[in-house]
Amino acid sequence: MNSNGKNGSNGDYAAGGEPILCIRNLKKTYMQGKIPLHALNDVSFDVQKGELLSIVGPSGSGKSTLLSMIGLLDRPTDGSVFINGVEITRAKESEAPRIRREKIGFVFQHFNLLSTLTAMENVDIAMRFTGTSKNRRKERAFELLSMVGLGDRLKHKPSELSGGQQQRIAIARALANEPAIILADEPTGAVDTKTREVIVELLKSLSKKGQTIIVVTHDMDVARQTDRIISMRDGMIASDTGVKGNEEHGL
Amino acid sequence: MFDVIIRSLTQRKMRTGLTIFGIALGIFAVVVMGGMSEHLNMTYDKSIELLSSNIMVQPDGSSILDESKIRQIKRVPGVKDAYGVLYTALDPEKSGGAFGGPGDFVNGIHPEKQIKDLKLTSGRYLVPGDEYKAVIGSSIARKFNLRVGDELEIKSKRMKGSSSISHTRNVTVVGIQEYSGTMFDTSVSMPLEAAQKFYKMENTVSIIYAEPASGADSSLLAKRIDLNVEKVKSQSPEQLRKDIEAQLVFISLITISAAVLAAIIGGLSVMNTMLMSVSERTKEFGLLKALGAERKNILFMTMGEAALIGVIGGITGIAAGGVLADILNKSFESQGSALFAITPRLMAIGLLFAVSLGVICGTYPAYRATKMSPMEALRYE
Repeated sequence: MNSNGKNGSNGDYAAGGEPILCIRNLKKTYMQGKIPLHALNDVSFDVQKGELLSIVGPSGSGKSTLLSMIGLLDRPTDGSVFINGVEITRAKESEAPRIRREKIGFVFQHFNLLSTLTAMENVDIAMRFTGTSKNRRKERAFELLSMVGLGDRLKHKPSELSGGQQQRIAIARALANEPAIILADEPTGAVDTKTREVIVELLKSLSKKGQTIIVVTHDMDVARQTDRIISMRDGMIASDTGVKGNEEHGL
Repeated sequence: MFDVIIRSLTQRKMRTGLTIFGIALGIFAVVVMGGMSEHLNMTYDKSIELLSSNIMVQPDGSSILDESKIRQIKRVPGVKDAYGVLYTALDPEKSGGAFGGPGDFVNGIHPEKQIKDLKLTSGRYLVPGDEYKAVIGSSIARKFNLRVGDELEIKSKRMKGSSSISHTRNVTVVGIQEYSGTMFDTSVSMPLEAAQKFYKMENTVSIIYAEPASGADSSLLAKRIDLNVEKVKSQSPEQLRKDIEAQLVFISLITISAAVLAAIIGGLSVMNTMLMSVSERTKEFGLLKALGAERKNILFMTMGEAALIGVIGGITGIAAGGVLADILNKSFESQGSALFAITPRLMAIGLLFAVSLGVICGTYPAYRATKMSPMEALRYE
């Protein structure tokens, strides 16, 4: 193990020019039998705090692979991912859970809520692993659910809620530990078009408040509403719009 | 995390219920079988204690001893005193009690040799000069509903040619012993001479007890008695204890192994349930990992579930076993003997066993759960 840099130390750099996420020469090769499959081939880009970035591309273009590398769900073959200047790709396996819960919030296509728990508990559970006190967790869960417009659905189980409501709970859960980045994998893939707009609006408003969000999507209608679109093809970046306009981001 | 564990168990009520039932059944078997051998152990332990340090001399080759042997034994160096007792079944039609106990028996004994460690709840001990008087055990008193002053019928039966002659006679109850958990609970103690006369067994006894002189080695003394007195077999208290323990170990082994088998089957059902529930929740564990759960969190959750199944199953099994033992004890009590002793030790063992079964059988499924990569777990449909 290389020991340069203090992995896992809290590398909260002062805001400014420093990007919140740096991806450098990221490569991931899967072996399909004896044939190497380059899912990611030398991908590099930076993301600033508060950006709402969408990654688009056909199936197999490497966008989900990229997302799982950033989320530390999988390890790259080569290259690095830095969050707040800390190289998370060098973190030890035992440190991965801590980085995931402190730096990353996940939103999935199929919501992935725990069906046995209420809306409140589904948000609460994300904070349990950080050792947050019970009262604080309750407070925060209520605050977040109210923010996503579900303050009156606290005791409902996922099965009693619509897809859009479930996804809003998932977003509240992703925000629970105040992560550096929210990674959303096809967040609108399983909801109808009307609900899709609600979700996108929610993500946009979070981004305005300074939350960095990366959305992987098939849906160009969703991508068009984001600040920046990265298109991927065959494991490489085909195009990058850069931040559209020159709107103000961050607080 | 405890509430999450409970939630996931109550969510699958049917399955959780069946698994708990499986464990409970196993522990029930452990408790009932264990209770039986505990009771046997206790009975013999206490009985041996009451006979204290005396050497037991039994006939070798025949069923009775001539009283002349008492004098011979007394002459053996190191013997302080010796006395005979006559044991006869209270009901000659049936001898021996349930599960190896001695059953109801008449204990013909010299009044001055009565075991005074057995306390009386009412009445008095036998005194020299008593004839057809008896001190009875608590179980006998309950069984025949006897109080001090009541009459108890004793019966003898002897073969004469091809026909048998029965005699009956009443003895007066003068004292009732308190419950001791020993074979003396089912005894009717009466003066030796009266017993010998009634049973037409004058000058004979069943067993002779030899008191060693202080400082004498009772094992050596037992051997010396065997050498000096013909046709007897002596057992020192240590020897007696060892012999009985050997038998009890055997009985315990049979009962405990049957019970353990039942419990292991229960344990396998926990394992099966946990494996099913873990593979069903692959996605859930993947999600928890993505949310930043560590291996130990997931391990705790799954092991906790298994342990909780064990605890609930164990408590249920112990309670059910306790209730059954109690019911059976009550119904056997009217016939004079308890069968089960559900001791705290046994309950602790039962619970410990249940929990460790749960935990051990939950280990592998839990390990499987922690091993899943969050990525694969999340893709799993």
